[in-house]
Amino acid sequence: MSELLKTEHLTRHFKIGGALSRRTLHAVDDVSFSIGEREIVALAGESGSGKSTIARVLARIYQPTSGQVYFDGTPLSAIRSRRDGLRYAGLVPMVFQDPFASINPVFRVQHGVLRILKLHRPELSARQRLDEAERVFGVVGLGADMLQRFPYELSGGQRQRVGFAQALAMRPKLIVADEPVSMLDVSIRIGLLNLMAKLRDEEGVSILYITHDIASARYVADRLIVMYAGQLAESGPIEDVLTDPKHPYTQLLLSAVPDPMAPLAQVNDRGEPPKVVDPAPGCRFRWRCPLAIDTCSAVTPALTELEPGHEVACHVAQTGAEVRAFAS
Amino acid sequence: MAMPVSGVPTETPRSPAAQVPAGHALARIGRAIRSNHKATTGTVLLVIFILIALFPGVIAHASPTQDAYAPRLGPSSAHLLGTNAYGQDLFAQVIWGTRNVLIIAFVVGLAATGLAVLIGVAAAYLGGGWDGTLSVLTDVLLVIPLFPLLIIIAAYAHGEGTLVLITAITLTSWSYTARQLRSQALTLRNREFLEAARVRGERKLYVIVMEVIPTMTSLIVASFLTNALYAVLLSSSLQFIGLGDPNTVSWGTTLYWAQNNAALQTGEPLWAIVPGFCIALLGAAFALLNYAFDEIGNPALRPVRRSKRVRGT
Amino acid sequence: MSEAHEILEVSDLSVDYVLPQHDVRAVDDVSFTVDRGEFLGIVGESGCGKSTLLFAVAQLLAPPAVVAAGGIKFKGTNLVGLTDKQMSAIRWRDMSVVMQSAMNALNPVKSIGAQFKDALQAHGKPSKREIATRSAEVLRMVGIDPVHLKSYPHQLSGGMRQRSMIAMAMLFTPDLIIMDEPTSALDVVAQRSLMTQIKELQRAFGFAVIFVTHDMSLISHFSDRLMVMYAGQIDELGDTRAIFDRPLHPYTQGLLEAFPSIRGPRVPLKGIPGNPPDLAAIPTGCRFHPRCPHAVERCAVTAPDLYPLDGDLVRCLRRQDGTLPKADQQGSLSR
Repeated sequence: MSELLKTEHLTRHFKIGGALSRRTLHAVDDVSFSIGEREIVALAGESGSGKSTIARVLARIYQPTSGQVYFDGTPLSAIRSRRDGLRYAGLVPMVFQDPFASINPVFRVQHGVLRILKLHRPELSARQRLDEAERVFGVVGLGADMLQRFPYELSGGQRQRVGFAQALAMRPKLIVADEPVSMLDVSIRIGLLNLMAKLRDEEGVSILYITHDIASARYVADRLIVMYAGQLAESGPIEDVLTDPKHPYTQLLLSAVPDPMAPLAQVNDRGEPPKVVDPAPGCRFRWRCPLAIDTCSAVTPALTELEPGHEVACHVAQTGAEVRAFAS
Repeated sequence: MAMPVSGVPTETPRSPAAQVPAGHALARIGRAIRSNHKATTGTVLLVIFILIALFPGVIAHASPTQDAYAPRLGPSSAHLLGTNAYGQDLFAQVIWGTRNVLIIAFVVGLAATGLAVLIGVAAAYLGGGWDGTLSVLTDVLLVIPLFPLLIIIAAYAHGEGTLVLITAITLTSWSYTARQLRSQALTLRNREFLEAARVRGERKLYVIVMEVIPTMTSLIVASFLTNALYAVLLSSSLQFIGLGDPNTVSWGTTLYWAQNNAALQTGEPLWAIVPGFCIALLGAAFALLNYAFDEIGNPALRPVRRSKRVRGT
Repeated sequence: MSEAHEILEVSDLSVDYVLPQHDVRAVDDVSFTVDRGEFLGIVGESGCGKSTLLFAVAQLLAPPAVVAAGGIKFKGTNLVGLTDKQMSAIRWRDMSVVMQSAMNALNPVKSIGAQFKDALQAHGKPSKREIATRSAEVLRMVGIDPVHLKSYPHQLSGGMRQRSMIAMAMLFTPDLIIMDEPTSALDVVAQRSLMTQIKELQRAFGFAVIFVTHDMSLISHFSDRLMVMYAGQIDELGDTRAIFDRPLHPYTQGLLEAFPSIRGPRVPLKGIPGNPPDLAAIPTGCRFHPRCPHAVERCAVTAPDLYPLDGDLVRCLRRQDGTLPKADQQGSLSR
């Protein structure tokens, strides 16, 4: 499978504090992963894990502090002209989290799609633009009559579909979806998740699905990447990772997912992910990890492939020992 | 009702939106004006004044400037408000004077608001050094006492009339509303739909003009009403103390002449009272519209009418 | 349940939003009771009226929302029609509220300790020492080090903020705590630990909880009884485990089926087609019928009442007359 997107040692830091402060927030540290064609990759982690920062680097809102991002073989840093930037934005659009804030409330919902068509497909006539707007609305399950409506007339789920329609109008290769269903009711999420699967299967689009909800990740994704405190903890084909989670953090996440059909798992962890400011080396999960050993405080674990396609960044797992940190 | 907060799923009920979307605006404004008493009163008053300004000759047949009549007449069917010490028909003066006042109000309102929008929104959206410079400029003008400054400017350009008044008032009064617009633009700056616009490839200028400003229409309209109101009061005050062109026909200049001739003491009270009353009325119209717009834009401010349903046990 | 066990009795409650065009009924004729120490979960999609119902019970409705009909009896006193003064005696001492987002409910410019002090002083005249002791006590109850009394809300993590909201609600050890989706903004681990904490506190102090959420799987392990709301009405009400094992109302079934599971086979799910109705344009007959896979003609004509069945209350014509076969969670009714 050809690699559509590849990140190599992607790092993004932010300076925090006042003008004189030298402290840096390590939002993303040394993250390397790839996304192929026609696949949905779920990027999972709690807030503060760095997943939203990665989305914004991919959308070129932030520049990497170090490391590279390659799209179709070309590094993002090579994009200089407005034309190249526009081309990339059309191939890698973003769908946002908040359906109530991501659409301009004073225009009809067709406004975004029409603007996109004007910017990215200038060869279309006005009539053709309207037709294409109707077409992409249809693909996402919205009727043509929706085009003339205002955002306040649409439900949250419908607005998110508008977001996907806007992405589709660009004829993208990869959609970066930043928690697209987190703010929707759980019963509405299924519809959007089904839409994402349909886009992969019928439109041939890859999706980077950023989420903190492992259950929904399992439902749509082909591969799963788990992030913790700015670093990759585990990555691999989704069923492999979920049936045989090797990183203690993955196990913790799994045990905390509510499942009405299973008895309540005892989760004694009540810690939260740290804000990573000027960190020392070592595994960032060690304070919450019941299996932490001495190496964990001294050396930052590197992502290592333990089984085909299944990588873990954990010293204990890499010794080959059974990792059973949290029951699930 | 639960408020939308990041990370928390909520749905807004299908009730009238707080924002007035373009295209729906006229129909909704019409409905809103009819249902809100303040808006109705304000609109009616304003429309009356506009009609007077547009067709003064239809309403007042006498000439406002010719001192052709017997001086110091009381109100009669020939002269509805009587005549002043110079033999001019007072009613005609007041009617014809409306034009000058309204022109000043609208021109200053538009120009000052335009300046305020430009500077306030640009400062907020561009941020950094631009924001710093523009904000300093705004704040300096805010701090300087407005009326004394106007007096100085108008005195310096004394005798050149309405245009000077308009320019002076515009240049000194935009800063107040610029501040407000900047504050609102700042809150909008990080809204996701603006980020989405940039991510889809829009230029910065486009985002400011086509995405930010349209969402601020209610505040911009409110700024216009505020600036118009202050223009009426400030220009009339300047004309009253003799800094406008005393030969233009305007409520302020009429007051000036009334004051010069000690109208109240010499038994011509209408000369002083009527123009002042008109200023107050026009000012009230703008103020009422301002309140009404607040209520229309923010449903929480509306007075709650009693539900017509029968209460249960 | 004898009268002495009941702490809250809501009867025929209706709440309207008084809008210029027309009144919109957000809560329609809702009746239920809560016993001492009981954990009642209220679930439903956005717009079903659950938050409005909660605000009505807590007497926090703001214009244009008004109670149009019905009564809310708390420990024998009818809350509707109480003056502000009478209500403030009850508020926080006997009944307290935890909001959806601490950042909305906590004052960002005051420290946690200062806000606790405000609450304590609003309902009594405690001494400085009493304030300090009690504040530290409630923080420890929720697992926060009392040193954080000096912290400001933005200095605490999301989970800690929600916990301090709960601590604040516990200041007077009330008999009833009302919670409006307090876990929605939290990540899955923080959510789990907060729910467990709430349950522990409930067992230790014996207060009743009304917990509003849209997340059924979250509530499944914590609530004693469950109330499913749709378009302003109760569609199903009964024992939590019973509802999960054999949901009676097609809407409840649809909700349960809309949850992708971590375990078990990966199957495509349908969710519930369509959207909840616009409360200004409610469907005739049963409000759910346009989206119901089992609707028949009379469902569009007759509006069903709540009907007792198997220890539950359910609002469904076909359930009432037995023309809907029983369903269990595993093999739900398929089309």
